[in-house]
This record gives sequence, C-alpha cells and structure tokens, in this order.
Amino acid sequence: MKCVGVLLVLTSFSYVGVAQSLADSAAIADSLLTIELQSQLPLHSQPQPTIAVRSVPTTNPDISAIGDFRLTYVTEGNRNVELHFNALEVQVSSVVDPYASANFIFSFGKDSLNGEYSAGLEIATLTSLSLPYSTQITLGKFKPHFGKVNMLHPHAFSFVDFPLLINNYFGEEGMFMEGVSASILVPNPWDFFQEFKIQFGRSETNASFDNGVNNMLLVNAHLDNFFDLTDNATLNIGLSAMTGPNTFNQRTTMAGFDLTYKWKPIQFNAYQSFTWQTEGMVSQTDTAAGTSVHTYGVYSLMEYQIGKRTFVGARFDYSGLPAVEQSDERMVSFLLRFQPSEFQILALEFQNINRNYAPSFQQVVFRAIFGIGTHAAHPY
Amino acid sequence: MKKFFVLLYLLVVLSLSQAQVKVVTTLPDLKSITESIGGEFVEVFSIATGYQNPHFVDPKPSYIVKLSKADMFITVGLDLEIGWVPPLLNSARNAKIQKGGEGYVDASTNIPLLQVPTSVSRAEGDIHIYGNPHYWLDPLNGKIIAQTICTALIRLNPEHRTYFETRLRRFIDTIDTKVKQWMEQLKSYRGIKVIAYHNEWPYFEQRFGLKIVDFLEPKPGIPPTPSQLAKIINTMKRENIKVIINSPYFTAESADLVARNTGGKVVTLATSVGAYPTIKTYTDVFDYNVQQILSAIKE
Repeated sequence: MKCVGVLLVLTSFSYVGVAQSLADSAAIADSLLTIELQSQLPLHSQPQPTIAVRSVPTTNPDISAIGDFRLTYVTEGNRNVELHFNALEVQVSSVVDPYASANFIFSFGKDSLNGEYSAGLEIATLTSLSLPYSTQITLGKFKPHFGKVNMLHPHAFSFVDFPLLINNYFGEEGMFMEGVSASILVPNPWDFFQEFKIQFGRSETNASFDNGVNNMLLVNAHLDNFFDLTDNATLNIGLSAMTGPNTFNQRTTMAGFDLTYKWKPIQFNAYQSFTWQTEGMVSQTDTAAGTSVHTYGVYSLMEYQIGKRTFVGARFDYSGLPAVEQSDERMVSFLLRFQPSEFQILALEFQNINRNYAPSFQQVVFRAIFGIGTHAAHPY
Repeated sequence: MKKFFVLLYLLVVLSLSQAQVKVVTTLPDLKSITESIGGEFVEVFSIATGYQNPHFVDPKPSYIVKLSKADMFITVGLDLEIGWVPPLLNSARNAKIQKGGEGYVDASTNIPLLQVPTSVSRAEGDIHIYGNPHYWLDPLNGKIIAQTICTALIRLNPEHRTYFETRLRRFIDTIDTKVKQWMEQLKSYRGIKVIAYHNEWPYFEQRFGLKIVDFLEPKPGIPPTPSQLAKIINTMKRENIKVIINSPYFTAESADLVARNTGGKVVTLATSVGAYPTIKTYTDVFDYNVQQILSAIKE
C-alpha cells in the first residue's frame, strides 16, 4: 500500500514536471518514467494529471456587434453617391437553463426615407432544448420560416441586398412576427432530415401582412427536406405556405418553394464551394373592394468560391408588387466578395434594375460587414 | 428447428442493438477511441472526417438527425467546434446530449492544456481562449480521453463496467507500448527544427521533441501572405530547416513554394483518424506521422 502511495506521489510529481516543462524539450525521460509508473498502477488508483490553468469559465451570454457600411453609386436622380452606415446589429444569446436557450437581436438602422437612425428589437426568442418526440418550440419575436432567405439577417446573405421578392413583399430586412413556432423532426425510413414547422401569431405590418384588428392570426407552415447527395454535395428543398390579415382587413395567402444545391468539397471546404439557390412564391391579396390580386416573385442565384477569401456570384430577380397587378421589377446582379477573415466581409455588387412602372436604373453598391464578439453560427 | 435458430438469432441481434450506446463524436479520433473502449456495446458516428479541417465543419441538418437519436455526444471542446456544434445541439431536440446532460462528454476534461492565453485579442488571429485544442495529437492525452470516455460509458451502461474497464486497460497498454516505440524511433532527431502551416502541433511537438520555429500562417486562421512566406524562407535558410509540416486540408501551394526556394521537404501529416485510407485507428495516426517525419528527415 505504501508502495502505491509512493508511486502516486512520484507519478503526481512527474505529471507536474511534464506540465511545468512545456518549453523544456527534455521531457522524454519523464514521459517514459510516467508510462512505466502508470502501467504499474491499478486502473482506478491512477491520479489525474495536473491540469494547466484554464480560462475562467463564465455564465455571460455570447455578445456580438455587427456593422454594415455602404457606399452606393446610382444612375438615377440628382444625388448619385451615397455613403452611409446602414445598420448595427447587436446579438445576445445563451442557454437559459438545461431546458431552453434565448436569443435577442437589437438593430440600430438608418431609415432610407428620412435618413434618421432608430433602434428596434428584431428578435427575442425562447427555444426549448429538451422536449420529447423530437419536437421544439420557440416563442417570442422571430422571422417566420417562409422560404430560405427570409430566415436570414441581411449580413448573413451573400448579396448586398435581399432578393426583390423579399424586399417587395416583406420589407428590406424580411418579415418579422410575434408568436409561437412548433417544429418536429419527421421520422422517415430513409433517415433524411425532414422538419415540419408551424408558426402562428401576429405579423409586423409590411406590404403583404398586417398586425390585424380582429382575431385573425398569421399562420405559417414550412416543410424542410435536406439530402446528402454525396459527401460534397447537398440538396435542400423547402415548401412554405402562409396566410394572415392584410392592411385591407382582408386576407393574404402565399405559397412558396425554395431549392438550394451546395457543392463544397469537405477536404478543402475553406477554398472552394458552389451554391445554386432558387426561391419562388405566389401571393393572393384580398382587397377591400372584394377583389383578389394575384402576383408572384422568383429569384435564382449562383455563387462560386474561387479562392480562400474570394467569391463571385450572379443573381436574377423577378418580382411583382403585392396588391398591385401588372407592376413588376426585374434585376440582374453581379457580385464580387472578398473576406479578409471570418469577421470581415467586403462586397462589391453591380445591379441593373428594370421596372415596368418607372424608369430603369443601374447601381453599384459596396458593402463592408464587420463583426466583433462571439456571434452564434448561422444555420447551414 | 431452423425457425427456432432464426428466432434465436433475431433475439440476440435485437437485444444487442438495444444494449448498444449510440454515440456521436465530433472527430474520428474520438470515434476510434470510443470504439476501442466500447467494443460491441457502442455504435459510433463521427461528424467530421479525418481529412477535414475540424475548425470549419458545415453544420448540415443531416447531423441533427444523428444527434437527435444519440445517447452520448463527445466533443473535443475548448471551442474547437464553436462554429458548428452549437447550432447542431440547439436543433437536436435531445436533452441527454445537451451540455450538462448525462450523455454530454467533453473529452478535454483533465487534459493538461498548452498555450492557454493570458489575454485574448482577435488581432492575434483565431486564438482559442481555453488553450490550444489539438490535444489528441499527444498519444498520452489519448489515454486521458479514453479514461473520460470509459467513465461516461459506465455511467450510461453500468452493467458492462468490467468489459469497458478491461478494454480501457488494453488501450492504455497499447498506447504505452507504442509511445515508447515512437519516441525511440525519433530519439536521434530530438530538437529538430521544423516549420508548420498552422498552430495545431504543440502537443505532438512536445511529446516527440520537435521544435516548430514558425508557421506559414502569419497568425492562426489567416492564410499565408507573401511577406510571411518570405520571412519563412529566410528563417529556413538561416537556420538550415528542411521540413515543412502541412495538414491534409490545407492546399500545398504555399508549402511547396517555400520548399522550392529552400530545398526543404513538405510532409503532410495526419491530423486525425481517416486522414488517409490506411489510417484506421488512433494509433495509426502516430504510426503514420512518425514514419513520415523519419522519411522527410532522412531524405
């Protein structure tokens, strides 16, 4: 027993020696001695090695701030050059307890009409982590899962602006709602990812939906399907449907699809990738006059990563205007994006916009996104 | 009689599959060690492959399906996987494997860490605030990882305690024998100076007595720049350094350029199990790497 005690002490000393002599390259003898001593000890009497000083753990949430600066040259109007700080987004997120996580996003944005900055709460959610039967519930203020891009925040989208269909139907930042979201992983014999989500609540007022004046609620449903085609290629197909009150105190109903193909060789995924994403939607807006206006929008984008830091892309957009029949916009964009690091994205985009209700114009937009702090990773 | 045996076989298969602990690991090294300890009582899936950069794994939704059914989740920890594990766990809908759950295993527990920073700034590149997370590249740390995994398996499946402990002892014995052999092979080259692409070898360096003088990346996570490569070329010429260590997921262009200008040799080491088809187990990683270094030095 004494012998074991001596060995324990010796082993502890040898571990201390190893830990303290990190810069000392003469560790070989100590290491061999350690191995010898360990092999002579019973399994459960092995002492734990001395642990190097670790960073102090903290219960502080992850906090990040992301800036968005823009420089624009536009061919129409008298004021052709614009330089402005577009938005600051502050995110605070953390697990609440073993059962839930919380996420808050505050935005300080510049109003494109009056040029004044205003603060707003964009996201405030509580999400369950441990409900049975592969279910999950989120409540609070969030972006409804309609299509693919609406779920993103502008800084997370490859191009400098959201597609026209998002801008025209939901607004520059996409659509927000307050309510409850429930989802389930749908079991299936092929074991692929299939998630069904249903969300209901009140919409923020936008071109398509309104907060409502009666008990008519916004209801959104989304079916997400994800397939690993190969180790390097994936296909994501989503179907969406949404209905709710509009500003005419009537109902707007939408249906949409999204399709994303990604190719990213897993061995060199930091150097090369290709994305093709297409999204479309149809909208029916019931008006106060008792008529229904049918419009639709679609976009398709491709992005190719040509180096560790550089991406090129192109996008075609077509979008109607909700509740305005026979008015539409078309846009072709070309993108060059450079990322000096994970925390800084510089993008230059040329856009050619054609409208059938107003003159066409071109613009060149430079966008700089820069982030500090710990920002939660975006979904794939 | 034939029906009886078929029924018996099905019962055995069914009971075995029910007794199996479903484990998801972030890296294939953790998978290999878990299989070494858990044997027939574990079914293990690794999210990352051995030739993939563990910092930049895409959090594909298909992994959520695996995690939703897992009894145990083993992570390297120390924020190595911070870019992809949190969104997967948040969507897994599985309380067992959430941080603090009985099936959540942080393999860095009890590891003596290297390069724990005293202050942190992103101006220094991708710094890991808890210390360098590539600790599995010291085989002696593999023993600590194995002990941690063994404890977790016993917690989830206590009736097989003896089985797991026996296999842990065997794993430790194998590592001990192998470490002596590897260190003996590299003994004559102790202190040899080398260049590495990324700062992921300090544990390997310490164990096997290499001396990494500088990195092709000017700062962790920042791609090599012409000025950094020029500096490396000068350093290699001045100090007569002949070996440049690359990793499977970094393109060899920068390392090759430096090698051409210095007469050095680029050696791509395995960072994980599965980096190359012949590397099937945790010990294979070190067998391969030791051989590669010996070949490069002797050339």
